[in-house]
Amino acid sequence: MTDRALEGVRVIEFTDEIGSYCGRLLGDLGAEVIKVEPPGGGRERHVGPFITGFEGEPDASLAFWVHNTSKKSVVLDLDLPGAQETARKLALSADIVLEDYPVGYLSARGLGYEQLRSQKPSLVYTSVTGFGQTGPHAGWAYADIVGQAMGGLMTLAGQQSDPPNLIYGRQADVSASIHAAQGTMIALLHAEATGQGQLVDVSAQEAVSISQETAMQFWDFHKKNRTRTGELGALPIRLPGSGTLKTKDGYVLLLIIAPAGKDLPDLVAWMREEGKAGKLDEEPYASLLAKFNMAFLTQLMGNPAEAVTVLQHLGAMNQEIANFFASKTAKEAYEEGQNRQLLVGIVSTPKDLAENTQLRARDWYVTFPEAPAGPAVEFPGPPYRLSETPALIARPPRLGEHTEAVLAAL
Amino acid sequence: MSKRPLEGLRVADFSWFGAGPIAANTLCHFGAEVVRIESETKVDGIRMVHPFAMNPDGTFKSGYNVSGYFNNYNTGKLSMSLNLNTEKGQEIGYRIIEKSDFFLTNFTPRVVDKWNLRYDQITKVNPSIIAAYAPMQGLEGPHRDFLGFGAVLTPVTGISEMSGFPNRPPFGIGTNYPDYVINPGHTVTAMLAAHRYRLKTGKGQCVELPQLESVVNALGTAVAERLANGTNPTRTGNRHPAYSPHGAFRCADDPGSVNSPDRWVVVACRDDAEWMRVAGVLGHGDIAQDGRFNSLVARKDNEDELEGLVNSWTAGWKAEELCAALQAAGVPAGVVQNAQDMLDRDPHLKDREYYQYVEHAEAGREAHDSPAARLSETPGWVPGPAPLMGEHTMDVCERIIGLTMDEIADLLAEGVLV
Repeated sequence: MTDRALEGVRVIEFTDEIGSYCGRLLGDLGAEVIKVEPPGGGRERHVGPFITGFEGEPDASLAFWVHNTSKKSVVLDLDLPGAQETARKLALSADIVLEDYPVGYLSARGLGYEQLRSQKPSLVYTSVTGFGQTGPHAGWAYADIVGQAMGGLMTLAGQQSDPPNLIYGRQADVSASIHAAQGTMIALLHAEATGQGQLVDVSAQEAVSISQETAMQFWDFHKKNRTRTGELGALPIRLPGSGTLKTKDGYVLLLIIAPAGKDLPDLVAWMREEGKAGKLDEEPYASLLAKFNMAFLTQLMGNPAEAVTVLQHLGAMNQEIANFFASKTAKEAYEEGQNRQLLVGIVSTPKDLAENTQLRARDWYVTFPEAPAGPAVEFPGPPYRLSETPALIARPPRLGEHTEAVLAAL
Repeated sequence: MSKRPLEGLRVADFSWFGAGPIAANTLCHFGAEVVRIESETKVDGIRMVHPFAMNPDGTFKSGYNVSGYFNNYNTGKLSMSLNLNTEKGQEIGYRIIEKSDFFLTNFTPRVVDKWNLRYDQITKVNPSIIAAYAPMQGLEGPHRDFLGFGAVLTPVTGISEMSGFPNRPPFGIGTNYPDYVINPGHTVTAMLAAHRYRLKTGKGQCVELPQLESVVNALGTAVAERLANGTNPTRTGNRHPAYSPHGAFRCADDPGSVNSPDRWVVVACRDDAEWMRVAGVLGHGDIAQDGRFNSLVARKDNEDELEGLVNSWTAGWKAEELCAALQAAGVPAGVVQNAQDMLDRDPHLKDREYYQYVEHAEAGREAHDSPAARLSETPGWVPGPAPLMGEHTMDVCERIIGLTMDEIADLLAEGVLV
């Protein structure tokens, strides 16, 4: 039998959208995670996309699946006193309680941190909410987009002329859950060493703050706000070997002018081999490209006269490079470019990821032979590989699938 | 102050740029001693990235120690200068690893090989170490030597394809996003899980975190949908499959918002009741009964029109006031905050003292992100400023690996401790 890192750890979770990914990480690492769900299931079970042919069914929501693997499901109506008592017993049987209800909801039902810890001092109680347990906004309503906005991410994403962009994949929820997983692990280790439990309070707004990158220090040091710069990113203009370029069937991102990897002459060599270097082998482009890297650009910024002469040639160079990538598929451009140590990233579509050479070669995807809805299906694999105690992904539970068994054993 | 929970544990941190150092930073916040291995022969690139601290006369400070970007992610660590391109440097590296509980690197497998830092090599000096490797694509496989960093990973993992408006190319989200939470957070979670197993069994292990796998795991439903349904979903802007309206709506400009005066409020209407409350707050309660908008299906069918209407209603509002009014009505709403808001204007973050300020010898007073997981009994905190390059080389050599002054002098002379 495979050893599991979190063998013997029991987690009772009262989560919906914000904290469920945290429970999933613990479950995949071997904890017994029992999700207590309201009758009918929470919001996450009712949000698509759904398995085709099972639209709207609570067992068929992929939004639920991706955050709820390796769990058991128990249905309890926490508005009923009897069910509250059962939930209390369940919670007290756990090492960890994980919850993401609005602040005060569970304590109104006898399931708050203070109430449970008085009976079980070693309990780790992790609360994952939009704004945390304290402070003037602790009672605010929350959804993922609110966390991304209030946490400083959206202001950095998008084209200046568009509204700020949301990042795909409920990243405020995910960030809160990942911080919660780290905090919960630290608290668990402490509880196991000393018998002392505690509250782990995670705010989604704070969880995404660190992803502001340098925006925080631009304000702190320079009193300037970083803003969204869309397609050009950090560059003032499109430079050869940079930016998002069209291919035959999709897009690639070039960052060849970044310090890592080979420089533009190696790109031109590749183009030349295929007879597609065009004007880039002619002057003045050839000598310009030979020295075109970050150091050259930095020097150029201090020399406006030279900059003007360089600037007038950028359009032609960009066009030759764009033509070259337009002649390839995104996958060809990515794999061949990277094999030449050129910083080319494929803009992967979900299909590209499902077929990704590296992920397939490493056998990353897992299979659920008996899916909660629909036929056997492949599913994304774990975030990490632990040599002694692998993260193993068991299929998500059907709504209430384990109610009887779990309550009978209580 | 209380004892921090990871005190007594040491991390040999052979990582650089974002994802690795942030993982070690979290361990440091909670009390681990983190020895950052650095070298002037291969300087961590983010020591040289803006923003730099400023002099009183408005010029930028210079050197390796004044990048706010680097300093935020390396608080409280020790910095040891060590040239791993030399054989003696590698020997010293092993001696630090021997005295450590965790090893961490995010260098490419090629560099790990070059410096002889593979798991089978370092376990010869420390069999029970937990060794975390976080390369872009994994330690093995046909793409193991592919280059990248957060900005490349963003398109490769599908985030770029799936984010932004459908009428725009997939140009990404403006940052090296996966470096900051997903990859370091997964790394720490796995390292601590492995530590629990070691406490029970005495066995260390190798933790491999291929950043590609780590990020696609956290991407949401896109790939699962491809695998299950055979579709190839793409970006849908700020919209949501089951909530509407859902997006950012423009409010009145705020000239006090420095070089970013445009102000936006986000709203997520998860059901008809929330939509009716939004319409009410905006003074158009009557529209909620309109057949074009009175159910989710109707709102999705008429979403362009709906968003246009909401935008026309929000236009005159001060963003903070609209947000407060919507929240008072129980609707999930928020201001699209910039860093000025986060650091200086958000009363909630101030009340919770999320940003912690420390004095840095060269950069001066700096704001830092504090641990986002707040532990009531054994909290973590920003333990001090980021180290100057090589600031603790002598301390590490003497105290941790027990070199004599003569030995240290020889190593300095031979160019090993640089």
